[in-house]
Amino acid sequence: MVEFVFRIGGQAGQGANLTGRSMGKVFTRGGYHVVGYPEYPSLIRGGHNVYQVIVGQKKVNSPVQKCDLVIALNKDAIFYHKDSINENGGIIYDSSIDLTQFKLRKDIKLYPVPYMELVKKAGGTARMENTVAMGATLALCGYPLEKLNGVLSDEFARKGEEIIKQNIAVAKAGYDYVIEHHEADKFPVKLKVIKHDKKLFMGGNEAVGMGAIKAGMKIYSAYPMTPASTVMHYLASKEAEYNIAVKHTEDEISAVLYAIGSNYAGVRAMTGTSGGGFALMSEALGMAALAETPIVINVAQRVGPSTGMPTWTEQADLKFVLNASQGDFLRIVLAPGDIKESFFMTAEAFNFADKYQLPVLVLTDKFLAETHFSEEPFEQEKVKIEKGKLITGGLPELEPKKRFKRYEITKDGVSPRPVPGTRGGLHVASSYEHREDSYSTESFSMRAEQVNKRNRKIENILKEMKKPKIYGARDAKVALVCWGSQKLPLLDAVEELKKKGIEVAVVHFSYLFPVDKEKVQEVLSKYEKTIMFENNSTGQYAGVLKEYADIEFDYIVLKYDGRQFFPEQVREVVEELKKEGFKGKNEIIHVNEREDLEYYNPAKYGL
Amino acid sequence: MSVEDFNFEIKEQWCPGCGNFAIEMAVKQALDELKILREETVIVSGIGCSGKTPHYVNTYGFESIHGRILPVASGIKLANHKLTVIGMGGDGDGYGIGMCHFIHSMRRNHDLTYIVHNNEIYGLTTGQTSPTSIKGTKTKSTPQGVIEKPVNPIALAISSGATFVARGFAGELKHLKEIIKAGIEHKGIALVDVFQPCVTFNKVNTYQWWKERIYKLEDEGYKPDNKDKALEKALEDEKTGYKKIPIGIFYREKGPSYEESVKQLEKGTFFEQSKKEVDLRKAYEEMM
Ligand SMILES: Cc1ncc(C[n+]2csc(CCOP(=O)(O)OP(=O)(O)O)c2C)c(N)n1
Ligand code: SF4
Repeated sequence: MVEFVFRIGGQAGQGANLTGRSMGKVFTRGGYHVVGYPEYPSLIRGGHNVYQVIVGQKKVNSPVQKCDLVIALNKDAIFYHKDSINENGGIIYDSSIDLTQFKLRKDIKLYPVPYMELVKKAGGTARMENTVAMGATLALCGYPLEKLNGVLSDEFARKGEEIIKQNIAVAKAGYDYVIEHHEADKFPVKLKVIKHDKKLFMGGNEAVGMGAIKAGMKIYSAYPMTPASTVMHYLASKEAEYNIAVKHTEDEISAVLYAIGSNYAGVRAMTGTSGGGFALMSEALGMAALAETPIVINVAQRVGPSTGMPTWTEQADLKFVLNASQGDFLRIVLAPGDIKESFFMTAEAFNFADKYQLPVLVLTDKFLAETHFSEEPFEQEKVKIEKGKLITGGLPELEPKKRFKRYEITKDGVSPRPVPGTRGGLHVASSYEHREDSYSTESFSMRAEQVNKRNRKIENILKEMKKPKIYGARDAKVALVCWGSQKLPLLDAVEELKKKGIEVAVVHFSYLFPVDKEKVQEVLSKYEKTIMFENNSTGQYAGVLKEYADIEFDYIVLKYDGRQFFPEQVREVVEELKKEGFKGKNEIIHVNEREDLEYYNPAKYGL
Repeated sequence: MSVEDFNFEIKEQWCPGCGNFAIEMAVKQALDELKILREETVIVSGIGCSGKTPHYVNTYGFESIHGRILPVASGIKLANHKLTVIGMGGDGDGYGIGMCHFIHSMRRNHDLTYIVHNNEIYGLTTGQTSPTSIKGTKTKSTPQGVIEKPVNPIALAISSGATFVARGFAGELKHLKEIIKAGIEHKGIALVDVFQPCVTFNKVNTYQWWKERIYKLEDEGYKPDNKDKALEKALEDEKTGYKKIPIGIFYREKGPSYEESVKQLEKGTFFEQSKKEVDLRKAYEEMM
């Protein structure tokens, strides 16, 4: 249940994101469930940035299309968001802004606040206007300032007591001003502290980073690319504390090869990027597959092809990730659907890579990677480290001129893997087809045996690919199907639909590949009608399921305008389909924005 | 241990007379003389005739992909800096497709030895021009002669910040072995560019051709401790129209290697540190 939605908007560089994130913590600490959702164009200055905070008493999962309050850090924010304000909602803005230029609805309540004047009076310095707005917001919804003071104290701890004091004074000035000058009690949303809570409030990328640290990753080699960069930033900030190294390499080719080299030497390493960087890694991906060197790659998708829309979201790299690099080879693709799964599946990816000696891809997207969610601390003791047939000692001496059988033909397809430094384990990890002792071969029979050996790994892998998870009304006739991050809006849509008397299940795939046909059919055959939701224009996973599990969906709902599905959109689609009695078969439905205000170019609107 | 202990059962599959034989031998002798254990050595190669070398020297090895020796070797070294890591590959591999890694590796200073089998031609792909082919050279891909100037790997390495830059010749085994030994012992990146006659595809740069032109820097009393002088020597071949080509150690500089500059490695290699369990509670605190 959503209690309160507000948006903090301003120019790129005005700190909407940081302010929003702090506000997310403020409500998380009071016992609420919170989602914090940033939207921004691919610009450092100019353009419009907004951070939406969704606060609920029960679990909330996804951003929504409407809000109760707009906190405007500049006048553009009013222009962009005025039409998304719920009835009787309001706008907090700087008193100097002239509102006559905007045609505002009559029901919208106006809360002008003299930002800079209050900062000065309270003894603050420039750039503390956002803190005034935070205080003002809490005054409107009746939430205690202490929670904000606590967050400010933590956020500015590194800047010293003086800065903390100033911020707290400035927040109070904003709070008091609203109480004195506005009818705060009439604001429709009121929130009190439910309990003093200690939940995490963090993003998908940080969860990926934490999962990697927990898995014992020592080297993260990468090249910056939105929306993967914050994995790098997070891990770099943890270098000293967890004794890991982040290596910003010259390009993504180097990034993936550093990680492969490290894994070859027996040290867990990972790389991360987005589609463009992954394209550069393709050749190395095949090398890791043939050399049977473990590698974990986090691919955070954004809108393609090419540079596309770098700061927006899409699920269109799935087929690329599944097929990248020449030759037939096995790989595992995991697509976490929330931050908890991001944490555990990243850790699990390292086990899979070590146990099966192949590439494992953790596929996320901008939406999951950069959105913040409140969540109970991950139960870290559940992470187990499994390295399979890795060998670090205890081998017998080799005969003269002989090598270790690194690529021994085994029943389960996995061969023993000694790391350099191990006596008796000499071999060459090779990108050429090879015989058991790793020397290159062009023997047709050995080639076929080695291919079969590598392919045999699938038997044990399939046992580890968990069934798609079912949420909502498990026994409903209709299932909304999705993979990766799109679980989040679907889960919220289920609640909305329930209110309208429509019961549906959500079937969520996170172990995407390889596909276990039996498990998939078993789950999906329970439903009379299946509706796949994908954040791309061709229904990529629906295609995969058709190819590997003989599944056909009644509807495939696609969105590819740069944003994930909103729960409202999902609800509308399902309501429509219900009206016509779900009689579709293989029908494709497109849900894209038809009209909008783009953030990239405010000048276009005379701003 | 002896040089023979580094042999693998397979015989080299190179053309008789190829310069690669001497480079392989020099590496075996250097490892043997330095008493470096086979299991503590990793040879990383790319793709090319030269790329086969890890199979002929029985240590650990990684036969990677074309042009990518240095990042693979760097990852191995960063993971376990107690290993001796040697890169071995062609001029096409290192100065062509892998050039971006070359420049960055030179300035990065991982403690690696990088041996380039510089035959001024693409061997394995049957004789096309290489980035080090001299202007005018006629090859399969440049039947009218190469138009562009060759890269100067020695000058490039020095100006990119390399801390050990040397050149050997496959026709001077003992000299080459000594350079490789010095390269392995050097703490930091060591580039050893080696003139390697390709007897099959390079009919210009033959053993004879090089013998007539090369001279040893140390014979002139040259000391490799001055960057300006090193650059001057690096440019000598070009300046003399390739009539005088110096070999030997051009430049050597002491200083911390990349691994020595990573604070997290003070407690041991990442390999050694990998056994420790991780507790995330502090990381959680920060997110609350
Ligand atoms: C990405 C890629 N492009 C091209 C090739 C084909 N190829 C293999 S070896 C080689 C060049 C060989 O020349 P060099 O690196 O100088 O090594 P040499 O054979 O002379 O020792 C090329 C172009 C390849 N293997 N990979
Ligand atoms: S083609 Fe040239 S480089 Fe290759 S093995 Fe023969 S002589 Fe050596």
